[in-house]
Amino acid sequence: MNAHPYLRAVARALAKERLEAVMIGNAAAALQGAPVTTQDVDFFVRDTPRNRAKIKAIADDLGARAWQPYYPASKMLQLQSDTLPMPVEFVFVAHGIRSFEGLRSRAVEMTFDDGDWSVLVASLPDIIKSKRSAGRPKDQAVLPVLEATLAQKEKMRG
Amino acid sequence: MAERGRRKRRSAELRALRIASDRAEAEMIRRHLEMTPEQRLDFLRVKLPGGGSAL
Repeated sequence: MNAHPYLRAVARALAKERLEAVMIGNAAAALQGAPVTTQDVDFFVRDTPRNRAKIKAIADDLGARAWQPYYPASKMLQLQSDTLPMPVEFVFVAHGIRSFEGLRSRAVEMTFDDGDWSVLVASLPDIIKSKRSAGRPKDQAVLPVLEATLAQKEKMRG
Repeated sequence: MAERGRRKRRSAELRALRIASDRAEAEMIRRHLEMTPEQRLDFLRVKLPGGGSAL
């Protein structure tokens, strides 16, 4: 399924609420050119009361509800709505990611529809590092194709 | 003798299969890297009501 209309709505809500968020996970890997699929879209954000309030505002903008799965253990807020075919997760802590600033500095801003909207996408090395560090079977399974994509990108760069 | 021949043939077949699989993966990655950002948005797999998922 094409994520275009949903991701555009999320990206516009992020811009409206001025929430600085870096896309991570398989959705980010797909945007970086890896042939992978996913059932959700993950964003890494700084854990501040202000950002949590912004996420709630984004949920309102999207007609979604923001909730914390496995409260209080999980460090994330998930948006769910009938209008979004995929859950959108805002994570405050992720395996292999030490700081938002570091992740942000290596991320790329990808623009769509002739600059109409954009998202910050984590670098492929950061995505690989996070998945390797998480070590779950589903992360391990996708690592070879992510590493092959990185190798191919570097080869194409010369 | 016949057993050794079968094993050798099997090993050669598996090696050829691995090479073909690696080539196919490299080709798929190359195609994805040549896509525009808009074309790369076809990554969503939606959950089906009865279980499982589909693109």
